[in-house]
Amino acid sequence: MTTFVVKRPTRLARIFQVIRELCSSPLGTFSFVIVLLFFVVGITADYITPYDPIKIDIRNKLSGPSWDHWLGTDQLGRDVFSRLIVGTKIALYLAVTSVSIALVIGILLGMIAAFTNQWIDWALLLVFDTIRSFPGIMFALTIIALFGPSVNSIVVIIVVSTFPSYARLVRTQVMSLRNAEFIEAQRAMGASTSRILRLHILPNVIGPVLIVASMDVPLVIGVEAGLSFLGLGVRPPTPSWGTILNDGFSFIRNTSWIVFAGGLPLILTTVAFTSLGESLRDILDPKLRK
Amino acid sequence: MIGYAVQRIGVAILIVLLATTALFVMIQFVPGDPANVMLGPRATPELKEALRERLHLNDSVFVQIYYFFFGLLQGDLGVDLTSNRPVVSILAEQAPYTAMLVISVLLVALMGIPIGTYAAVHRGGSFDQLSGVISVSIIAVPPIVIGLYLILVFAIQLRWLPAIGAGEGFWAVIKHLILPTLAIGLTWIGYVSRLVRASVIEVLMQNHVKTARAFGIPENKILRRYVLRVALPATVTVLGVSIGFILSTAVIVEILFSRPGIGKLTYDAVISRNYPVVMGAVLSSTVFIVVATTLSDLLNVMLDPRSRDINS
Amino acid sequence: MQNRKNLIDIKDLSINFGSVHAVKNADMTIKKGQIMGLVGESGSGKSTLANAIIGLLPHAAEITGGTMEFENRNLRVFTPNQWQALRGREVSYVSQDPMSALNPTLHIGQQMLDIQYWSDDTNAVKLERALNALEQVRMPNSKSRLDMYPYELSGGQKQRVCIAMAIMARPKLLIADEATTALDATLEVQIVKLLKELQSDIGCAMLFVTHHLTVVEALCDDVTVMYQGDIRETGSVSKVFTSPSDDYTRNLLRCDPARIPEKCGRLPVMSKPELKRVSDPKMDKARIDTVAAPVLAIEDLCVTFTKQRSLIDLLQGKSGERIEAVKDASLSVAIGETVALVGESGSGKSTIARAVFRLVASQAGSILFEDADLLHATPHEMRAARNRMSMMMQDPFGSLSPRITVGTALVEPYIISGQSLDLNLREETERLLELVGLPADFANRYPHELSGGQARRVGVARALALNPKLVIADEPTAGLDVSIQGEVFNLLASLREKMQLSILIITHNLHVVRHLADRMAIMYHGKIVETGDTETIISKPVHDYTKKLLAANLETKY
Repeated sequence: MTTFVVKRPTRLARIFQVIRELCSSPLGTFSFVIVLLFFVVGITADYITPYDPIKIDIRNKLSGPSWDHWLGTDQLGRDVFSRLIVGTKIALYLAVTSVSIALVIGILLGMIAAFTNQWIDWALLLVFDTIRSFPGIMFALTIIALFGPSVNSIVVIIVVSTFPSYARLVRTQVMSLRNAEFIEAQRAMGASTSRILRLHILPNVIGPVLIVASMDVPLVIGVEAGLSFLGLGVRPPTPSWGTILNDGFSFIRNTSWIVFAGGLPLILTTVAFTSLGESLRDILDPKLRK
Repeated sequence: MIGYAVQRIGVAILIVLLATTALFVMIQFVPGDPANVMLGPRATPELKEALRERLHLNDSVFVQIYYFFFGLLQGDLGVDLTSNRPVVSILAEQAPYTAMLVISVLLVALMGIPIGTYAAVHRGGSFDQLSGVISVSIIAVPPIVIGLYLILVFAIQLRWLPAIGAGEGFWAVIKHLILPTLAIGLTWIGYVSRLVRASVIEVLMQNHVKTARAFGIPENKILRRYVLRVALPATVTVLGVSIGFILSTAVIVEILFSRPGIGKLTYDAVISRNYPVVMGAVLSSTVFIVVATTLSDLLNVMLDPRSRDINS
Repeated sequence: MQNRKNLIDIKDLSINFGSVHAVKNADMTIKKGQIMGLVGESGSGKSTLANAIIGLLPHAAEITGGTMEFENRNLRVFTPNQWQALRGREVSYVSQDPMSALNPTLHIGQQMLDIQYWSDDTNAVKLERALNALEQVRMPNSKSRLDMYPYELSGGQKQRVCIAMAIMARPKLLIADEATTALDATLEVQIVKLLKELQSDIGCAMLFVTHHLTVVEALCDDVTVMYQGDIRETGSVSKVFTSPSDDYTRNLLRCDPARIPEKCGRLPVMSKPELKRVSDPKMDKARIDTVAAPVLAIEDLCVTFTKQRSLIDLLQGKSGERIEAVKDASLSVAIGETVALVGESGSGKSTIARAVFRLVASQAGSILFEDADLLHATPHEMRAARNRMSMMMQDPFGSLSPRITVGTALVEPYIISGQSLDLNLREETERLLELVGLPADFANRYPHELSGGQARRVGVARALALNPKLVIADEPTAGLDVSIQGEVFNLLASLREKMQLSILIITHNLHVVRHLADRMAIMYHGKIVETGDTETIISKPVHDYTKKLLAANLETKY
């Protein structure tokens, strides 16, 4: 394995550099912190809740915010704040699994489409477009009708509905890169296809795709919220942001707090991931690097 | 131009065929016996067998698909498993409500165009900054949450607007449309205005605008013919593609606001495992989306002469 | 003292872009009917000055001092309405990039009507006016052009339309901002001739901004020379060009390869204007090995491209449109020889280079490199060949991977050829950078941090990494300021002496060819129409196209 001579920063150093640049603006810092919080809370959720999220305490039901219960209690007296925290676990699981799987499939198919002959490329495009023509919710409802409501059904739904857009993006990027002059220069030098793919195409492709993926995370969480709200997602008594909204909606005339509280984490994560994606886009563009 | 149109429509038809087949195949995987569901557990085995024969349920998948398309061409989408009414008529009843919602959302979303244009032309000014902050904040909130908060504020706290049903009589219908439309539409106004703003800013910097200015052409003429004519096609395309998302969100919103429509229909059908209805609803929505996307593609090509030059 | 005859009166004008002083205390006057050339290299501020006169400075620019008057009206306090009235009627502007100057969504006719917004005449009259203008600019089929969209016209035709639009109102001043820079030489000649005719017809003044000194000499009465925001010299063309009083102007003229009649081995450059080494024919001959087999021998090469088929064609089994890029081309390069492949854009010259490296497939003919048949070589043989020949691509930035540092890019040839394990890569990087005259710390820079000339040198360095026998240079001087062209030229010239390097240079810059190439081949529409010694061809061209090409490029009289 040859080592590059010139002082190129290591992977880790690069990541730290990106983080530093991210935090140079208040919005960037905010989004980075929230995203980090999202991951931390999601992983440690079970251990940090002040109350047991499914412990029922009827006497205290539907109380508003107080020092004991920061965000109040729901119709069964359960602490809303703790339930929100545990809901993060599900949101995190969904975000990570569905987006990663969709990314892998999308990148793979996109590269295949870009490199094969016209017929296969065309057929793949047809498949992508067909999937994108399905109204998202209808497709989701169909899958749930077939496989029953569960978190993994949601994963399937999201993977199938999102991989076409990644694949298309990768395909377009690769196709435009293929004819780029520096790729031609590589071929003129005799570089092998795998080398070109590895060192020159992939790095230029992964950036934009990752950014789109990070902006899809809010979408993923939103889908879960929507489905669980309809009662077709996560099954009770497991708390998820969507089920909390559902509970809140049923009792909206009694107290508005639950609905309000349920919306908060959704808004926070949407803002954080979207601005993260946009900031990353600016940072990773080599032409803007100082 | 004609060549492109033919090609595009051909692709659209192909997509619909593919989607239908895929859907059909998916439903085959459903566990359970439709005959059981339709006739109830007390029906005799002979009755069930007769039903299966009639519905071709014992034949291979290909044969079933054939019969399905056959029926489709005759306008038959099967019958509702519970009420025995033809699916087509059920759809015809419910579709107008959803259509109403989608169209009013589109109209509302179009308001984003003047907002975005004004912001772009007066870039950096107070309108731009204010509308920017508001748009970005609204886009950040998922539609369900917007819907819920809207209900919270306007229906429950303030009691200004209704939150349930579609209403009877012209004005009631409009009143009932407001909150659902805003629930979906606010996000889209925000999105469209950001998009238009970015597009217009980019076009304003292009050479042909500079040239037009160099000839002293009045600003408003430049805006109309040299900026918007060039910047809008991209937005049109995006809107066309987004109809799918709008439809999707409309479904949830219908359920949230207890409005009649395809959304509620599908939801109920899914819960009661009423597959023909699910199939019919999904199919018609897909066709709607394919038509919308195709139309917006064709519109785009019509508006931008450059794309006539190259094959897609 | 106010001179009533002055159209434009600029005194002490300063324009800043933030902290950058684009124009510093500039003085310039343009009289009625005068043709003024505004010359300078990139970054001199000439375009900024021209844009200021018509009030089209970008947002970021700010006029910080001085006065600017048009017929004694103070332009600095013009209201938007006054600017609007001025533009298109009294002052017209033709911009550099004809490809993007027209509205892509409107017909030509519609745009020409739009421009006449100030007139109360009927549309019929306006159309008539437009047609007249198109005829004046020698636009063939002017009537049918009115209904066409810009994408249906060629670059030259679009530029004619822009000029037609500019003269329609019979302006007092026509500003041409690098109006011919993007065009091929033959086209440039035509447009310049056209401008001269129009100017005498209409009697307008012209401000011609350019960095082509020869054009200025032919077209303009007076010239103003700018360098880094300062006006260095102003005067009549005849005076300035024959006896310049300013050092910079003097050097600029000196370093223009077009103005050096003798064939040179080293050209003067802005950093070393005294440098000039006339080439010694004997040394040139000694460099070339005419006994051994040529290092590159192309014979009857044919390269055909098939356009991608649309779906309908696919289904009908129709094959795509075929473009014969190269037809029966034959060319050879002897060891140590520099051969120039000359032609205009679209002639197929770059395609030949690509064919040699098998970046495109060739349908017929043969390519022999050091006696190895490249077209039928196995991958292994091809690899061996690639170690001994290299290509410098046209776009210096485009040919470098944007996410890789210069140092990494330079050593890639070693890694690809598998030689990296035997060498100290750091030393090699330094050696290569030194070879092209770049400091060693450039190894850590990214391509976007380099200037055009620096990026070009990196390309040269990379091409030389494996000590090739043959370098194919695709437009090595394109897009570079005249003075930087000299530096690239000198680099190549010194390298070929040191290493007995064979060079195939692909270019449309005949001045560089005249100095650098031993032999040249002229390409036109995919065919090689003439080959021979550089000097012979230049003095006694045989083929008609060659004559046209030489006339357009080398003659300074219009």
